[in-house]
Amino acid sequence: MTTATLLAYVVAGVALVSAAGVVLSARTIYSALCLVGNMVSLAVLFLLLNAQFVAAVQVIIYAGAVMVLFVFIIALLDPGHDPDYEGPRRDPRLWVGIVAVGYITAQVFALAVNGTTYSKTDHVLQGQRLAQAAQPSDLHSFAFDPASVNAAGNVQVLGRELFTTFLLPFEITSLLLFVAAIGAVYLTRRLPHAPGPPVERTAPVAALPEESAPDAGRETVAVG
Amino acid sequence: MIDIQVFPLLLGLSAAMFTIGSVGVLVRRNPLVVLMSIELMLNAVNLAFVDYGRFLNSEDGQVFALVVIVVAAAEAVVGLALVSQVYRAGRELDIDDLSEMRE
Repeated sequence: MTTATLLAYVVAGVALVSAAGVVLSARTIYSALCLVGNMVSLAVLFLLLNAQFVAAVQVIIYAGAVMVLFVFIIALLDPGHDPDYEGPRRDPRLWVGIVAVGYITAQVFALAVNGTTYSKTDHVLQGQRLAQAAQPSDLHSFAFDPASVNAAGNVQVLGRELFTTFLLPFEITSLLLFVAAIGAVYLTRRLPHAPGPPVERTAPVAALPEESAPDAGRETVAVG
Repeated sequence: MIDIQVFPLLLGLSAAMFTIGSVGVLVRRNPLVVLMSIELMLNAVNLAFVDYGRFLNSEDGQVFALVVIVVAAAEAVVGLALVSQVYRAGRELDIDDLSEMRE
């Protein structure tokens, strides 16, 4: 057992424990903390799986940007109104659903592990065949085994794939981000006549300066 | 270089994380925790993609993982915008009560 294998086992255990922590934590901020731990340990696993760029993106985008957004919203909301303080849902149908999801997931992954795509001889043969046909300058016969990818550079290979083979999905992804940004801006606009959060505030709400000219005209329209 | 028996183990980890995430979606009532559980499920799928890509000597799994990360970011942005807006509208933050978008 190499050091990398040992590290993979340890980090996989950390990932599993922190994944359980996301669901089992009583407080939302602890769930977020466990999710950060899970994402970082997954980034380590990506590094071990020779996916350096995905690991970096995982840390920067997921553990950085997305989780900061989550923590920001958690800090914004009032923790006293956490509905899970009354305990989780206890509908018996839920447990049927949970068992069904676990069983189906286990079946799918067992099939995948035992399937033809995952036989060791096929993998070795395919790797050898690809390595024989490898011309590092030629994209379509490039062998994506770790040695060749690392020689050419992980980011270079990934970027070439992204901008040639997967150009259309890449552009559609950018469109998706654009639409999501527009949707977020539209959704977080200030509602006219909102009764406000269900909190007894000590400071007067009317002191907020945002309730000024642009909303004043809309309020009369939105009454009916 | 990791041993070859780690690949099915990571697939099992991916399956376990996916199941844990779906349990969180089903059981928890806080919409923030539900969103985090969805992120957990997407992470599990990412792990399976990268694991298979490494095992099959292909870079496609990593490309797909990047796309999944972008989709997860978009989903988090829209979901959190909805949550904050629901809170600002003065409604109780309970998934069961929010099954109707209108009041």
